[in-house]
Amino acid sequence: MNPKWTSEKSLFLSRCLTIASFALGIASLFCIPIITEWYDAVSGEEPIHIVLNIALYLSAILALIALWQLHTLLNRFAKQQVFVTENTVCFRRIAWCCFGVALIWLVLCYWRFLAFFVAFIAAFAGLLLRVMKNMLEAAVALREENDYTI
Amino acid sequence: MPIVVNLDVMMAKRKISAGELAERVDITPANLSILKNNKAKAVRFSTLEAICRELDCQPGDVLEYVKDE
Repeated sequence: MNPKWTSEKSLFLSRCLTIASFALGIASLFCIPIITEWYDAVSGEEPIHIVLNIALYLSAILALIALWQLHTLLNRFAKQQVFVTENTVCFRRIAWCCFGVALIWLVLCYWRFLAFFVAFIAAFAGLLLRVMKNMLEAAVALREENDYTI
Repeated sequence: MPIVVNLDVMMAKRKISAGELAERVDITPANLSILKNNKAKAVRFSTLEAICRELDCQPGDVLEYVKDE
């Protein structure tokens, strides 16, 4: 590993990327109707822009919630609060946001089967996050046991 | 927890303060407080040994098993 690349810098980069993603997410909210209308125009299939608009707006809201949780998580990491119960709550919320997105796109499969792949990726990310949440829970329990061993 | 730490009873019997015992056992007063208030999850043998040595008692005098109701 590059010695100049410290964990603080890595954390700073993660925080910057999260904030940038959040800003991009908010900006994309204004572009959703344009994107869906463009999609209908180029797809050549029956228009679904209303359904797509609803799906994208709901997904964007869940994504923003997840990004906000990620931001909270990284702020705690910066304060050296890594193995705390609050972080497991953040992971759980992010995982549920992913499952929520997966559910939305699963419903969208009724109109476009391609939506299944988005649903699959979101569900897989949710699953990974749940496993990470379980790992962090175990780590918190270990830390507590260690802290309370006299 | 069914294991109760009767450290305060033994400390009163030996007329020793928490600060003094913490210093003699070489643990922080905060950790001694955790132990005294039954908040500890585990006790190292080395700590128990030092407590027994300083209070001139047996582990059974400090630790007690109380059945859960």
